[in-house]
Amino acid sequence: MANEFDPRQLSRIASTRTSRRRLLGGGAAAAAALALGPSFLAACGSSSTTSSSSSSAPPPDDGKPASGNLRISNWPLYMADGFVAAFQKASGLTVDYKEDFNDNEQWFAKNKEPLSRKQDIGADLVVPTQFMALRLKQLGWLNEISETRVPNRKNLRPDLLNDKSDPGRKFTAPYMSGMVGLAYNKTATGREITKIDDLWDPKYKGKVSLFTDMQDGLGMIMTSQGGDVANPTMDSVQKAVDLVKEQKDKGQIRRFTGNDYADDLAAGNIAIAQAYSGDVVQLQADNPDLEFIIPESGGDWFIDTMTIPYTTQNQHAAEAWIDYVYDRANYAKLVAFVQYVPVLSDMTDELNKIDPKLAANKLINPPQDFQDKLHTWAALTDEQTQQFNTAYAAVTGG
Amino acid sequence: MILPGLAYLAIFFVVPFWSLFRTSLSSMGGSIYLPQLTFAWNFGNYAHALSTYQDQILRSLLYAFTATVVSLAISYPLAYVIAFKSGRYKNLLLGLVVLPFFVTFLVRTLAWKTILADDGVVVQTLNTIGLLPPDGRLLSTSWAVIGGLIYNSMTFMILPLYVSLEKIDPRLLEASRDLYSSGTRAFTKVIFPLSVPGVLAGSLLVFIPAMGDFINADYLGSTQTTMIGNVIQKQFLVVKDYPGAAALSFLLMAMILAGVLSYTRALGTENLV
Repeated sequence: MANEFDPRQLSRIASTRTSRRRLLGGGAAAAAALALGPSFLAACGSSSTTSSSSSSAPPPDDGKPASGNLRISNWPLYMADGFVAAFQKASGLTVDYKEDFNDNEQWFAKNKEPLSRKQDIGADLVVPTQFMALRLKQLGWLNEISETRVPNRKNLRPDLLNDKSDPGRKFTAPYMSGMVGLAYNKTATGREITKIDDLWDPKYKGKVSLFTDMQDGLGMIMTSQGGDVANPTMDSVQKAVDLVKEQKDKGQIRRFTGNDYADDLAAGNIAIAQAYSGDVVQLQADNPDLEFIIPESGGDWFIDTMTIPYTTQNQHAAEAWIDYVYDRANYAKLVAFVQYVPVLSDMTDELNKIDPKLAANKLINPPQDFQDKLHTWAALTDEQTQQFNTAYAAVTGG
Repeated sequence: MILPGLAYLAIFFVVPFWSLFRTSLSSMGGSIYLPQLTFAWNFGNYAHALSTYQDQILRSLLYAFTATVVSLAISYPLAYVIAFKSGRYKNLLLGLVVLPFFVTFLVRTLAWKTILADDGVVVQTLNTIGLLPPDGRLLSTSWAVIGGLIYNSMTFMILPLYVSLEKIDPRLLEASRDLYSSGTRAFTKVIFPLSVPGVLAGSLLVFIPAMGDFINADYLGSTQTTMIGNVIQKQFLVVKDYPGAAALSFLLMAMILAGVLSYTRALGTENLV
């Protein structure tokens, strides 16, 4: 029976490949914040002699090989079995690998105080989403990643390597990317979905979900209205917000979600959802009726990046790790496990070696016409982040 | 002996409360990521919070009130039966009342999502017998949110009611019978008045958390059912408007306090159980 309580759904909710970007983490943080309220506030309010503007200069390279212990903080279920062990064997380093990065804002709220005082945060390498990585860079809290110690950086996809938010990827080394598009349930929609306007079809009233996250939620809508996420203006954001508000007031939009859209979509409560490609790859295994598309007018990339906080205790080891990850054969093992889109170019051969199905999957190895429709958000200024978030939250929160 | 308790209150209640109060009257400056709050008697935070979010405030009041009344209506008979009529099953029944709490709050709420799903058995059955229009749904409606609030708080209503009913001396009932009182009269004149502390305590334990709840509205509700708790959560964690969120928290607190005071006065008791 389709609607029996499926323990796998729960484990999926609890697991992080889906929960990586989902709201639950935020909810838990909120619960903690509300419970601890004021001490949390005190933590938020005080201090801050920030060394903003530019990021730190790279520490001078002593030329010694990497040695010792490397502490990595990554999202849960974002690693392949045996990968860390293989790295330890190849490099002679020891790795203390923690899956304790659950939510960008939560992580930031917890670590901004020690970082602003340049105190160790217990990790030599962390993997925030690009917008957060750029925020850290702007605050001057990231070390530059050595050119000579990461020769495999040349394997990066050119679009990522030359991205203007961090040209040459000096501070933020992409780890995985994914597509933000639309997922729909063929049986529920009864037809193909191709464009943003399909979301507003009265037939799907109360069966549509959008992301709470400002960039992931508004990006494709702005693009469909002629806006540009690479060069966003308050006007274009407001125009998209107004449209979302109008549809919300009509009852068209059922929920604003984090990753929890996945369960509603699988259960048939939602017919069309804004979705992340990697989630849909996994959902399709259980539910072949699900489709993932990039709207005609375009979708967005999201990128998680490896960064070295300026409080790192082992810069060289972190760089050795990044270089190891950027080896195509190694990286293919990661992709096979996490099923997001590779950040390295020309991965087809290596993926084929593991499983030809991987390379053939459009959502893991997107063809050029897919990629052409995908945009990347510009690095936002503090003011923009504040303005855009406030504008969108006025709709999603009320 | 009282010192540890006082110290605990001072550290975990007074200090945070004071800090939150100051925040609610502060102006925000500096970088948004490391904001600097300056205390400024900024009452504008309150005016803004009240005018922007009055819908959510009213909705929260309505939901919490409905949840409390329904919860009381369901729980009272149950507590009555457990207290007076259950005999040797008393402990078993009490155990059953508490049992759902062995499962975490979040999982219990998510389970309701599955039960009320659009293609689920419940909705289909209601459709078939015509109680729900063909395209009607249960999940993501006000009813689901209120239902979740009731479900998640019933124990807190039942237990105080049970305690106050159980305490009633059976000889008082015998006395009322001896004085030719009918069953109904015995209830209205003896049992109910003596159980008022339980009613009061139960109502408060249900109403107060329900007012600030955001999980039920988040998982069982829709974009049309957001409560004030959702707004506060969002203001703290996404928008990072700490003064605005703090002001909303204080408004919420003030409303709850006012409600509680008038309710206590109306019921004419100062003993909570």
